[in-house]
Amino acid sequence: MAQNISPEQSGGAGGGGTKHSDDSMPVKDNHAVSKRLHKELMNLMMANEKGISAFPDGENIFKWVGTIAGPRNTVYSGQTYRLSLDFPNSYPYAAPVVKFLTSCFHPNVDLQGAICLDILKDKWSALYDVRTILLSIQSLLGEPNNESPLNAQAAMMWNDQKEYKKYLDAFYEKHKDT
Amino acid sequence: MTSLDPAPNKTWELSLYELQRKPQEVITDSTEIAVSPRSLHSELMCPICLDMLKKTMTTKECLHRFCSDCIVTALRSGNKECPTCRKKLVSKRSLRADPNFDLLISKIYPSREEYEAIQEKVMAKFNQTQSQQALVNSINEGIKLQSQNRPQRFRTKGGGGGGGGGGGGGGNGNGAANVAAPPAPGAPTAVGRNASNQLHVHDTASNDSNSNTNSIDRENRDPGHSGTSAASAITSASNAAPSSSANSGASTSATRMQVDDASNPPSMRSTPSPVPSNSSSSKPKRAMSVLTSERSEESESDSQMDCRTEGDSNIDTEGEGNGELGVNDEIELVFKPHPTEMSADNQLIRALKENCVRYIKTTANATVDHLSKYLAMRLTLDLGADLPEACRVLNFCIYVAPQPQQLVILNGNQTLHQVNDKFWKVNKPMEMYYSWKKT
Repeated sequence: MAQNISPEQSGGAGGGGTKHSDDSMPVKDNHAVSKRLHKELMNLMMANEKGISAFPDGENIFKWVGTIAGPRNTVYSGQTYRLSLDFPNSYPYAAPVVKFLTSCFHPNVDLQGAICLDILKDKWSALYDVRTILLSIQSLLGEPNNESPLNAQAAMMWNDQKEYKKYLDAFYEKHKDT
Repeated sequence: MTSLDPAPNKTWELSLYELQRKPQEVITDSTEIAVSPRSLHSELMCPICLDMLKKTMTTKECLHRFCSDCIVTALRSGNKECPTCRKKLVSKRSLRADPNFDLLISKIYPSREEYEAIQEKVMAKFNQTQSQQALVNSINEGIKLQSQNRPQRFRTKGGGGGGGGGGGGGGNGNGAANVAAPPAPGAPTAVGRNASNQLHVHDTASNDSNSNTNSIDRENRDPGHSGTSAASAITSASNAAPSSSANSGASTSATRMQVDDASNPPSMRSTPSPVPSNSSSSKPKRAMSVLTSERSEESESDSQMDCRTEGDSNIDTEGEGNGELGVNDEIELVFKPHPTEMSADNQLIRALKENCVRYIKTTANATVDHLSKYLAMRLTLDLGADLPEACRVLNFCIYVAPQPQQLVILNGNQTLHQVNDKFWKVNKPMEMYYSWKKT
C-alpha cells in the first residue's frame, strides 16, 4: 500500500485510531479553523481553478460540497462528480472526511463514496487544503492505485480501457443524478 | 543549523531552478524594488494558518517557516515531518526560532493589528458576497417554485408555528420568501419607507447590527418596526425582491457588498452554526450571523447599509404577527413589464434584462401606489448608473390582467386586497404589469 490505504483504518475525524483520533488531537479554537476555511474559500474563488470547485454547503463552514471534472484524456473525461468535505475541529492538523456524493466507479472508491487516498489518511499534511485535495482526487481518477482496490471489479476492469469506459459511461449515466 | 560549508561528500537536493539560477547582484545604490502585496504576503504567510507568520519558526534542515504555534501543533498531531516538504522533523529541536524574520515582518507591517483587521475585512466582504450569492440563488428558486405551486393567494400571518420568520404556513417556500430578505433587498425597503413615511432607520440601525449576530434578539427590533400599515406593506413588498435581484448579477453585486458595523464584537466571529434553531426562517439568519460577525469595523457612513440592515430586521419581524396591522393577510404577485408598452426594445427593459420580472410578496393592504413606489426604488437601486438618463423619473402605470390579453389599469389608492377581490379570482399569484410613463 504505497499510495492508498483503506479508509477503514483510522481516519482523520472520529476514527478509533491512535494519533488521528479527535480527542487526542490538539484542537485550536473553532475560530482559527473557520478563519482558515474562510481564507481557503477566498483563495479558491480568486484562483478560479479549472475543473474543480468547492463551496460551503449551507451556512456551516465546516461542511463543503466540491465538484471535480473528470480529467481530460482519461475515461472520466466529460463527467462531473460531487463530493462532500467534512472538516474536523482539528483541521488542518487532521484531514477532512472526503466522500463522493455522486457514485463513482473507480478502483479506489467504494460504493458508499469512501475514497482510499493516502493524503487523506496517514500522509495528510497541514499544508493540504480543499484545492489540493480536490486536485489530488481528480488525478486519482485517471491514475488509480490498483494494488489496494476498494472496488475490486473496477480494478480488474481497468486494464481494458475500452471496456472500462463503456461500463463507466453506463454507470455514470445511471448514477449521476443521485 | 547545518554547516554552511558544504561537506565534500554531501549531496544537495537542489531543484532545477536552484541549480540553474545565477546569483543576484547586490543592490548598492538607491534602487527601489516594488513588490506586490500579494507576492509579499505569500512570503510572509504561514502555510498552515494562512495568516501572517507569528513567532516564526524555521525548520533547520529544509528552512521552511511556520508560526511557532502552528508547527508545534502540527508536529504533535501528525507525522513527524515538515508539513511543506515531508523532510523528517524529529522534534521541536529540528526547529529554530527566527527572530530576524519576525523583525522583518514588523518592519514591513508596523501595525500588525491594522493589517489583520484589513485582512479580515476583505475576507468578510468576500465571504459575504459568496454566501449571499448562493443564498440569493436558492431563495430565488424557492420563490419561483412558491409562486408556481402555491394554491392559496392569502396567507394569514401567524398561522404556522415556525417561531421566527414566517408563520411557516406554506412550508419551505414560505420560509424561503421570508428569509429572502437578508441578501439584497433590504435597502430598497428602507428607502421605500423613507419615501412614504420616515421610520426610525437610524434609531434601529445599531440595534439591528447587533441582532444580526443573534437571531434571538429579533424581538428587540419590533419597536422600530411598528410603522403604519403602509410602511410595512412596502417593507414586505421588498421581501420578495431578492428574486429579482438574484437574477441580476450586477445589481446584486451592487447591493450585496454589505458594510459592517463597528458594533459587532469580534468575539462573535467563531460561531459558524451554533444556534440550534430548526425553523427554516432562522437559517439564513444564522448565515448572516457568521458573516456579519466576521466583519470588522467599517464605514458607517454608508447609509445604504444602515437602511439595509434595517430592512433585514423588518423582514424578520414582519412575520411575527404585527398586532397593529388591521389586515394580516399577505398576497403574492408576479410583476411583469407591460407586454406592448414595455417591449424588448424599451430602454428600461434593455437595462433590466431578465431582471424585469419581479416576484413580490406583500401585505394585502398595500396600495397600488405603494407598489409603484417600491418598484421605482427597486429599479433605481438595481440599475444604479445603468439607469438610462431618460428614465430617471420613474413613474409607473400598474395594471392587472384578469384575463390574458386584457390589461386593466389600476387606480393608485386601491389596496391589493381590493384589486385581488375585484379582478383576480383564481388561486394563484396575482399577475400584475407595469409600464413606465414619462410624466
